[in-house]
Amino acid sequence: MKGESGIKKGKLGENIRELGILIAFIVIIAFLMALSPDAFARPSNLINIVKQASINGILACGMMLVIISGGIDLSVGSTAALAGVMAAHFSHPGEYPLFVPIVIALIIGAAVGVVNGIGVAYGEIPPFIITLGTMTAVRGVSLIASGGAPVFNVSKPFEYVASGFLFGIPLLAVYFLIIVLISAFILTRTVFGRRVYTIGGNETAAKVSGINVRKMKIMVYTYAGMLAGFAGMLLASRTVSGSPTAGSGYELDAIAAVIIGGISMAGGAGKWYGTVIGALMIAVIGNGLDILGVSSHYQLIIKGAIIVFAVLIDIKSKSRNV
Amino acid sequence: MKTRKVLSIVLVLLMMTAILAACGGGAKEEPAAQEPKEFAFFISHMTNAFTIELSDAVKAKAAELGVNVTVNDGGKDAAKQISQIETTVNQGIDGIIIEPVSVDAIIPAVKAATEAGIPVVIVNQQISDPSAASAYVGVANKDGGALEMTKAVEDLGGKGNVAILLGPMGSDAQIGRSEGYKAVIDANPGVTVVFESTANWTTDEALKLVENWLQSGKEINAIVAQNDGMALGALKAVEDAKLQDKIKVYGLDATPDALAAVKEGRLAATVSQSTTTQGLEAMNTVYKLAMGETVEPELLVDFTLITSENVDEFL
Repeated sequence: MKGESGIKKGKLGENIRELGILIAFIVIIAFLMALSPDAFARPSNLINIVKQASINGILACGMMLVIISGGIDLSVGSTAALAGVMAAHFSHPGEYPLFVPIVIALIIGAAVGVVNGIGVAYGEIPPFIITLGTMTAVRGVSLIASGGAPVFNVSKPFEYVASGFLFGIPLLAVYFLIIVLISAFILTRTVFGRRVYTIGGNETAAKVSGINVRKMKIMVYTYAGMLAGFAGMLLASRTVSGSPTAGSGYELDAIAAVIIGGISMAGGAGKWYGTVIGALMIAVIGNGLDILGVSSHYQLIIKGAIIVFAVLIDIKSKSRNV
Repeated sequence: MKTRKVLSIVLVLLMMTAILAACGGGAKEEPAAQEPKEFAFFISHMTNAFTIELSDAVKAKAAELGVNVTVNDGGKDAAKQISQIETTVNQGIDGIIIEPVSVDAIIPAVKAATEAGIPVVIVNQQISDPSAASAYVGVANKDGGALEMTKAVEDLGGKGNVAILLGPMGSDAQIGRSEGYKAVIDANPGVTVVFESTANWTTDEALKLVENWLQSGKEINAIVAQNDGMALGALKAVEDAKLQDKIKVYGLDATPDALAAVKEGRLAATVSQSTTTQGLEAMNTVYKLAMGETVEPELLVDFTLITSENVDEFL
């Protein structure tokens, strides 16, 4: 009986965490609506917010899998930049069909992901270190590949990829939604997903129970890398240029979205919808404060405070379960 | 035991010799170099068209003069740039050009260089103690800002709402250009600044910021950005919102993509800071100083306003 109530309390504890974040989210939205009654809640602005949450949200989906598996990936920002630069190179008007820059971006992302995965799985290098290395090196490659300056002059179809609409919904939001659904499906409905949780929760137990931990890790980092490549291509399309310095700090926003969403940095736990809330919350705050004319410096302070707060909730709810 | 002792003594002696040689070696390069041959250029970063153009100009002039110049990339890090300068000064060089990461932090390194008899030319962003260096070649950012804002105000007919995109707060360019903006705006009471925020020179930050400003409900008639990278981000947001006929966008730097946008009639204007001229003149000046000539302490290069009328000259 004690065991049963222990499990119940555990589930309740997790649900309280996600509920708490949802409540915080609603409170923040209400607050911003009150401060800018005409501007904030307008449909065009809400569409704006979702558009702005999408690229970070896509990165966060990959980051979520990595973190749940017990790792971290600092290289996604640099990977996005390299993918964006190379995609821009191949999307000048009239040169290559549209699928070429998109596929190249995905391949680049996957390649960096594989390097990270092999480093973690076979080199047994701590994820923080290997991805710090790839983050730095890939940034250098982007600078070389672009000649140091943004690659511009992209075709209209390429620009449309991130700037267009589908039945009035921004395409960026459509991609975000699709990737969220794919990631959610992987985590909740597949054996692969279950094993990702296991590896993050207790790697030794995972190994002992016959899970090919090495292969799994490579796949997880490759997934995150591919999403980073995709996001980088979208960023280049959105800014109509492939900039070697783009995506700087994007890995931190992706991590923030995952953490704010209640996913534990220790790995092995967390719900996919937390990441969606986290990504939306970051975009909502940025948008609301921009409309109010609050300087980006204060915005950084607020973002930092929210991250710390979210982690505190995570730690406290865990200790209550023990 | 005994071999170990002997080995350690030998090692210590070797180390001491190496250290003494290095100390002595610092002085071995210098004076009596008949023709100045070796120069070094310290640039704050090499990640946009402006810095690349500047560096290419310096190298081109060096080639023309028949001397060597090594370009050192400071990676936007003041400490790194200081180390680079100190290392070069230590090894001996005929002259150095610095485009500073920070207008304050590098002053000690500059002083160390001039005290070692090495001429120092500062380019593009003036350090806060100009007398520490031998000469300055560059622009007065205030003039560039004023030129840009004057055009914007003119196009508005002296009345309207302006949104401003700034560079990194506290950078020399941001401070100077803002000063220029302020002077023009103060002289035109019909113009109101409705938004003013930093987008750190980057296109994607500017894009997001302007997207959100356009949602605020406040009317915006012109967006003035302190560089082209941000201007192009703002332009994309304006075009996405289909407001390009209502809002004019202005930039500064005359990068290739901005010039193309001016030519296409999308960007209202940009401003050239004659980057190439700055680079050529900086190299020329440091060469003259190394040859023992005297030069003007300050050589200011003009900004040029570029609109659809004169853009073809720059393409």
